[in-house]
Amino acid sequence: MSASITMNLPSDIRYVRIASNTARSVAELFSGENGGEEGKYEEFRNAFELAVTEAFSNSVRHGNSPDKGRQIFITFSPENEGLTASVADTNPAFNPEIPPPDIFSYPESGYGLLMIRQLMDEIRYSRKDGNNTLTMHKKLKNPHNQ
Amino acid sequence: MKTLIVIREKDYGWMSSFFPGVHPLVVPICNKPFIEFLLDFAILAGSTAVRIVSDGSLNSVEAYCETGDRWGIELGYGSIRQNDSDETVMEKNRLFCSEDRVLVINGFIFIRYADKAGLKSFFAETSSGSLSRCSSGSIELTGIPEDVSAAPGTLPFSLTDLHSIDSYYRLNAEILTDYPSPYVLPGYSNEPDCHMGRNVVISKGAEVIKPVVIGNNVQIMKGAIVGPSAVIGSNVIVDRESTVSRSIVLDNTYIGEQLDIVGRIASGNTLVDPETAFLVSMEDPHLLAGMNKAARRQGLVLIRYLAHAAIALLLILLLILPYLFFRILLSVTAKWQTRAVTFYGANEGKSFTSALPSISCGGTTCSLFTRLSLDRFPMFFHVLAGKIGVIGSFPLEVKESGHGETEIFSGYRPAVFSYAEAEDWPADAGESAIVERYYAVHGTPAQDIVLTVKAFLNRMHPGEQE
Amino acid sequence: MMIRERNHNGVTIVMPVGRLDSSSASQFMSGSPSFSGNGKIVIDLSEVDFIDSTGLGSLVGIARKKREQGGDVRLACLNEKLRKVFEITQAFRLFDIYDDAETAAGRQG
Repeated sequence: MSASITMNLPSDIRYVRIASNTARSVAELFSGENGGEEGKYEEFRNAFELAVTEAFSNSVRHGNSPDKGRQIFITFSPENEGLTASVADTNPAFNPEIPPPDIFSYPESGYGLLMIRQLMDEIRYSRKDGNNTLTMHKKLKNPHNQ
Repeated sequence: MKTLIVIREKDYGWMSSFFPGVHPLVVPICNKPFIEFLLDFAILAGSTAVRIVSDGSLNSVEAYCETGDRWGIELGYGSIRQNDSDETVMEKNRLFCSEDRVLVINGFIFIRYADKAGLKSFFAETSSGSLSRCSSGSIELTGIPEDVSAAPGTLPFSLTDLHSIDSYYRLNAEILTDYPSPYVLPGYSNEPDCHMGRNVVISKGAEVIKPVVIGNNVQIMKGAIVGPSAVIGSNVIVDRESTVSRSIVLDNTYIGEQLDIVGRIASGNTLVDPETAFLVSMEDPHLLAGMNKAARRQGLVLIRYLAHAAIALLLILLLILPYLFFRILLSVTAKWQTRAVTFYGANEGKSFTSALPSISCGGTTCSLFTRLSLDRFPMFFHVLAGKIGVIGSFPLEVKESGHGETEIFSGYRPAVFSYAEAEDWPADAGESAIVERYYAVHGTPAQDIVLTVKAFLNRMHPGEQE
Repeated sequence: MMIRERNHNGVTIVMPVGRLDSSSASQFMSGSPSFSGNGKIVIDLSEVDFIDSTGLGSLVGIARKKREQGGDVRLACLNEKLRKVFEITQAFRLFDIYDDAETAAGRQG
């Protein structure tokens, strides 16, 4: 794939699987075209799918306003031998640096950003003109195994 | 046969103060991570599948070993809990352990062996039960032997505890001197006792005395002596007139000028005496010597600026036409975008913002754009304005949260190109920092011009490192 | 989300089927009476092919509730994708994770 893919989804948790499935399809297409034999890039695909799912769920969760028309904008683009996904919304600003939860206190939420950080190689948050954008990048290759 | 490796935090916890942030299984012994020695043993013993289980995080172990493809085995991971008995551990791994004979390596132990060829038949013939035990671990065999006809005699292996920094230090020294080593050490071995990785530069007047093991991307400068009995990791610089003997220098370490590292372990900014476990930490995360030279070079600031501005101007003239051409071409296909990026400036509290082109496409056009360094074109004007250098450190981006400020080190000199690119070092922050620090101490304006050209040319031919 | 249940030596084995994500987690949490009370249960995850942070949160929630009431939850049959989630979130420190549900259920209840 050489072009970007953009999609807009309603800010509603029922659409989470569309975000997940699309992320997975994009990761499959991208890794398949880059010499990925079956199974070799499973880890890449799983991580990409999960990170986009988490970013989408976070956006839905933070946009708990009565405005039903709210949308979430997702863009996938190939970049520097990897895939970049950006998830943008019009929610209030949030702090992307919240510390990870203490597992021994049995937290039922708050794992999302921690997971994205662990799964992706690079993440960037920006706030501009009332938009939050979380941009995440994952390299196709494992630096240990070239 | 299969192998189950059980490793618990209580057994390896002591390592974290000496190797902070590195999982003990990936801490190198000579020039390969500890886990590879265990996997080698498991494979020699006849295993086709290995599972590593721990009550601690195995993230970095998994990132390194992945699914075991590199060794031709099936490698998996599992979790146990802190207070699980050995019996519970076996229950939790019931399916893995059910059909086959299983070799259980339990604890933080190193397994010595001399006869590689005999291990497989030994394990096939030995009856089940505990085979060997030491204070921090054991080796056990479950299941029914394939052939009990031969009664095995003495064990073809022995266990060594890894319970202190001294035991780790001694183990390295023994493997190094114990040549020919039964433990396969990767890297070029053109002569006995001397294992060397890729991109190793030994300057004139430097001396390497066997036995040594040297990793990838290592520079040994003029008058330096490395060895005997030195283990040098990857991305290391041993600067002028320094000595490293009977010592271990871990990855990403810069040994400053005129230092004697004898009988020590050096890692980043820490120096450990293995006998006493005494640990000294330096302020700068990589530098093992003072930056006393930096002060002397103040007078060079103007000359340096002129040299940098001249080459920046030259590159602007050379690249302006291609830059405009691409800009028009990409604008037509709506792929042209710019992103304003703010970087930390050379002086504290200062920053600069550059509108960098951010084009989102694959293909040859875009790869050519990057190869010509057009993605950094606007930054050359900052060089003319004297805000940054044409070559120096990777500029660090200012994040909204103010994060990243901690990564700024005393020799930070943001620039269009980095010294790491000129020297073809890995671009990861920790690794490139070593080479940047070296030039922060030694760089001259004339050298900068040469290195800028090298960096520019290296970017033109990416991916030729491997 | 479909939830199957079976019994092994008096221990309830709960088997959710499908994706355990933010659109199914709340349904799962209220999906079995065995999620409260002081008994020991096993959650067999062999039919769950995807879990996200909300799904993980629901398992953590069930474990807290059970342990507060003197019961316990063990997990069994995590595939690679699921195991990775437990690894990166440190959640593996909270759960006893078994290869198979029957061994997890053990001999007595």
